[in-house]
Amino acid sequence: MTGTEAQALLVGEDLQRVYRMGESEVRALRGVTFSIALGESVAIMGPSGSGKSTLLHLLGLLDRPSAGRYLFAGVDTARLDDDHSAALRNRAIGFVFQNFNLVSGETALDNVAAPLVYAGVKRKERTERAREALDRVGLSDRMHHDPSQLSGGQRQRVAIARALVTRPPLLLADEPTGNLDSTSSAEIFSLLAQLHSEGLTLVTITHDPRIAARAERVLRVEDGRIVSDENSAAYAQAGALA
Amino acid sequence: MSYLEALRLAMRRLRTNALRTGLTALGVIIGVAALVSLIGVGQGTQAALTSRIASLGTNLLSVNAGASFTGGVRGAAGTATTLTEDDAAALVPLPGIAAVAPEMPVSNVVVVAGRNNTTTSMTGTSPAEAHVRSYTVQTGTFLSDVEVAKSLRVAVLGPTTVANLNMTPEQIVGTTVELNGIPFEVIGVTEPKGGSGFANPDDFVFAPISTVQAAFTGGTTLRTIGVSVNDPNAIAYASSAIELTLRSRHGLAASASDDFSLVSQNQLLTVASDQSATLRNFLIGIAAIALVVGGIGIANTMLVSVRERVREIGTRKAIGARRRDIGRQFLVEAVIVSLGGALIGVVVGVLVTGPVGAAVNVPARASLPGIALAFFSSLLVGIVAGFLPARQAAGLDPVEALRYE
Repeated sequence: MTGTEAQALLVGEDLQRVYRMGESEVRALRGVTFSIALGESVAIMGPSGSGKSTLLHLLGLLDRPSAGRYLFAGVDTARLDDDHSAALRNRAIGFVFQNFNLVSGETALDNVAAPLVYAGVKRKERTERAREALDRVGLSDRMHHDPSQLSGGQRQRVAIARALVTRPPLLLADEPTGNLDSTSSAEIFSLLAQLHSEGLTLVTITHDPRIAARAERVLRVEDGRIVSDENSAAYAQAGALA
Repeated sequence: MSYLEALRLAMRRLRTNALRTGLTALGVIIGVAALVSLIGVGQGTQAALTSRIASLGTNLLSVNAGASFTGGVRGAAGTATTLTEDDAAALVPLPGIAAVAPEMPVSNVVVVAGRNNTTTSMTGTSPAEAHVRSYTVQTGTFLSDVEVAKSLRVAVLGPTTVANLNMTPEQIVGTTVELNGIPFEVIGVTEPKGGSGFANPDDFVFAPISTVQAAFTGGTTLRTIGVSVNDPNAIAYASSAIELTLRSRHGLAASASDDFSLVSQNQLLTVASDQSATLRNFLIGIAAIALVVGGIGIANTMLVSVRERVREIGTRKAIGARRRDIGRQFLVEAVIVSLGGALIGVVVGVLVTGPVGAAVNVPARASLPGIALAFFSSLLVGIVAGFLPARQAAGLDPVEALRYE
């Protein structure tokens, strides 16, 4: 095992994912191999239907590959049962979705504290840590608001606070600015960039080349395969020349 | 997620959907209230019936004259003239027997006192009647042996009969009333036994058996012989002694059936309590149906709720909820709705039991076992109703759930 592999947080080896839809088979991933190191920032790009969401679901342990091996922090995830996967999602992975997926009827604070409930953290500590997380995303003054009372950008910041509250090493974002205007998008990306600079491993699905340019590395996915894997400076250059 | 956390989550959720929660709980509220009040009414009916029968004397055995057969047609019980005063006298020395009262009823006797009149039934009997049928005298005296021996025209009246004549016991004792036109002196009025409606135990006239036979019925036959035994446990023993004595006196062959019948008060009590238990169970069954319908309401609401919250469930799974965390959340919600409904239902049930009982003329009161039964069945209903929705929610695939629009 080489030094770089020892640092690898996520390793995929010939990952395949086949869905059965009635008679036909949909091959969403046709053999994907990659390694993402701890602390890296990776953008995944590709047209819709290319398999990038499927890849993100596999990375986030929400789904299992039909074939191939997926190692999370060196552990073969095939050996994990549902409860172990849930525990890893809870402690080691933060999710940020395009449509925020906050629970309405619960305050921002309760939304952010939700993962800690599943982690078995006591209420007092939960509130404290949820406050800290909201503070980190600059929303300490909106703690007791219902998500419906918040702007899109604020909602996504609440969602990021929720993703961070268990202090996971990895954050997975699926088009985190897809439903936001350009000002809010800029805010969210500065926030994610800042979190990355503090050591968070970031894997983001995006359509926006400007956003991908801020990542260290870009994986392009087409037809269920990784067609390119390059650092973003090269991507930005190529994009500028085109 | 602990049950406490699931409880907190469910309470927040139910509060935000207060109207829906209330309407869902209403089914359980009605079911539990019906269960509590109908159990109360059922038990009240049973208690009233039992105490009414017990007030007639628990040591009582009644020997009834057999039915007559005329041309193969069986007449009503007591139409045959198989019992006599000598039969009654023959029972007195039998072991375990406390008192024997010969009885000959006359129905529809018109009682006239001054300008007032009433119609009641008269029974010719002996002083032992007071013991056998548990009567005590409140004013005056009961019948005496002398009055029976001399066939005197004296009468003891029930308090309801006296009231029907618009008189008080003090006013009527010592006066003369006419019974079917024949003058009788009123020598006493009994204490009320309570009860109302059919067979009011306080509406009657007692007169000496000899007088009644001479003036009204003729002959020396009896309709019934009331027998009081010393020990209620010895009723079976006393019954067989009476049966053997009467069979031998009547000269019945071994193959012949009795020309009389024996009924113990305990038998009546058993029959009555069986019947009222049947009634009570019937009422409980109806209320249980209401509760089951309430449970179906909960299940339905919870299933709708799971459909509405598919994305929430997907999100919760993504942030680390296990299957059982999700299942617990929905199960606890269902149980809270049913237990909350049960709590309100018990209060409503306790409050309406009295009025409901009054409406059907029964002294009903909500009982602790009834409340406990209602409460635990509603808990069960909540668990059963929540199980399917909870399992459905827990089993959702997170990827599918997150994609759900």
